[in-house]
This record gives sequence, structure tokens and C-alpha cells, in this order.
Amino acid sequence: MYKLLLFLFSVVFAMMLHAFQMDQELALRTLFWAKHSLNRAAHAAAQQLDPDSLSRGVIDLDEAAAELAALQYLQANLQLDEHLMPLPDSFLQARVEVLAFEVIRASESFPYEYTNERLAFTVTLRRPGVVMAIRVEYPRLFSLLGPVSWELKGAAELVEL
Amino acid sequence: MKQLLMFILLSGLICWMMFAPVYKHLAIMRQALLQQEVDYLLEVGASGTYGYIGESMIRQSRERLAARGFVAGDLVYEVSTTSGVDATSSASPVPRGTGIRLVIRYPYKNLFAIDRLIGAAVPDPSGMMSASGMKMSEYVPDR
Repeated sequence: MYKLLLFLFSVVFAMMLHAFQMDQELALRTLFWAKHSLNRAAHAAAQQLDPDSLSRGVIDLDEAAAELAALQYLQANLQLDEHLMPLPDSFLQARVEVLAFEVIRASESFPYEYTNERLAFTVTLRRPGVVMAIRVEYPRLFSLLGPVSWELKGAAELVEL
Repeated sequence: MKQLLMFILLSGLICWMMFAPVYKHLAIMRQALLQQEVDYLLEVGASGTYGYIGESMIRQSRERLAARGFVAGDLVYEVSTTSGVDATSSASPVPRGTGIRLVIRYPYKNLFAIDRLIGAAVPDPSGMMSASGMKMSEYVPDR
């Protein structure tokens, strides 16, 4: 009888190990997925030229259009609705928070160093660009893993015309 | 007789324990490979040099995935754009500012057959796993 107990105990232990490993593997995949989505959002935002300055011969970014594009691309890539809540078929389950969104316009002097003390994030831009940070929470499959959330940071410069 | 029954039950359980997680791992890896392929195709396709995800790119992508154990013919590629124009033709690249959206789908097949043996609810074998992404094109026509 004690052998049967030992067997059951080792079954539970082995399954826990498998679950733990699977969750970690998925978490890492999710991290890369979210980071690439953020990069694409910043990239789309950094392509929004301001037509007014363009008419004066200055290549500059339009802040409102940039923010709109960034959110639109973040929503499309992470499958979120307009309030950044996950859609039913999205892998995520918690709301994605935008921690920072800043448009660095042509009026700054370049190279421009952006520093965010709270996020411990520094980036140097050589052209006008966009800096963006989001918080993504990983939907754990099993509660073996402690709560996981990432503060992801991304930046993009105006693409060379 | 009782011992024999016990042996069959326990050995069956051990076999399931050894193989079931391997197939879960396979599902995660396939999904990850699809996502990696989407990222790569978007990075190349939406760049200033191309501005499209053409037939030849998709064919090469199928070959890459086939080398990783996918059945090339079962992969489904869906390319669309935010403006509705066709993004698969090298003759008419998608201009800067338009988003190219790519979805790659692949059937689950019998990855979860081993779970069905113990009666767990599993995705349909013809159901599709998918990876998707959208990136803004950088293509500017030659002056």
C-alpha cells in the first residue's frame, strides 16, 4: 500500500514539474510577443509626419496622430479592444497599461537623450522619434509560478525618407 | 489477477505521464515558430526595400518551416492591409503608412490525441493554431 502512495506522490510531483516548466516556457514566449508588438506600435507612431511642418520644409512628428497609430498597432498586435482590454481570443487576460508615451519632436536638439528614472530607461535618439512603455501581465496557467508582469520599453526613430 | 490489473493501470498512467507533456511542449514550440516566422516576414516585407509579402517570400517561408517539421502544404498564410489593397504583389508594393497584417495558421492535427485517451477535452484536430502581427510599411517609391 505504501508503494502505491509513493507512486501517487511522485506522479503529482512530476506533473508539478512539467506544469512549472510549461508555464515558464510560455511566459518567455509571451514576453517576446509583447515586446515585438510594442516595437511595432512605436514604429508606426514614429512614421506620423506633421503635414503643417512638412509644408514649411521641416520633417516633424504629429503627436496626436502618433498616439493614435501607436494605440491602434498595439491593439492589433496584442489583440486588445479600444480600452486596451484583451479581446476574447487574445492570450492575455489583464488590461495592458501604457506607462509612458512621449513624442520627441524636431524642435529638440539631436542626439537627444530620453531618460525615465522611474522605469530606469534611457535611450538616445538621433532623429525625431517616439518612446513608449507598457505593462503587460502574464496570464499564468498554473499558480505554481508567482505573479509575472513586465514593464516593456520601446523606442523608434522617424524612418529615413 | 488484481496485481495484473494494477500493473496495467499504473503502466498506462506512466506512459501517459511521460508522453503527454512532450506534446504540450511541441504545441508551444510550433506556436513559437509560427510567431517567429510572422515576425521575420513582417520585418522583411514591411521594410523600405520590399513593401509586400510576395509569393516567393511565402514559398521560402514554407520551406523554412518544413525544415522545422511542419507540413508545408498545411500552412495557411493570410496577408491583408489596413487600407484593403493587395500586399502580395511585388509589382504594387504597399506605400509607407499602410499597415501590413499577416496571419499564419496551422492545424493542431493529433497533437492532443494522447489527452483524448484519458477523456480530457481537447481542440479539434482540424482546429488551427495561429500567429499574427501587423506592421506599418516603410516603402517609399523611387523618385
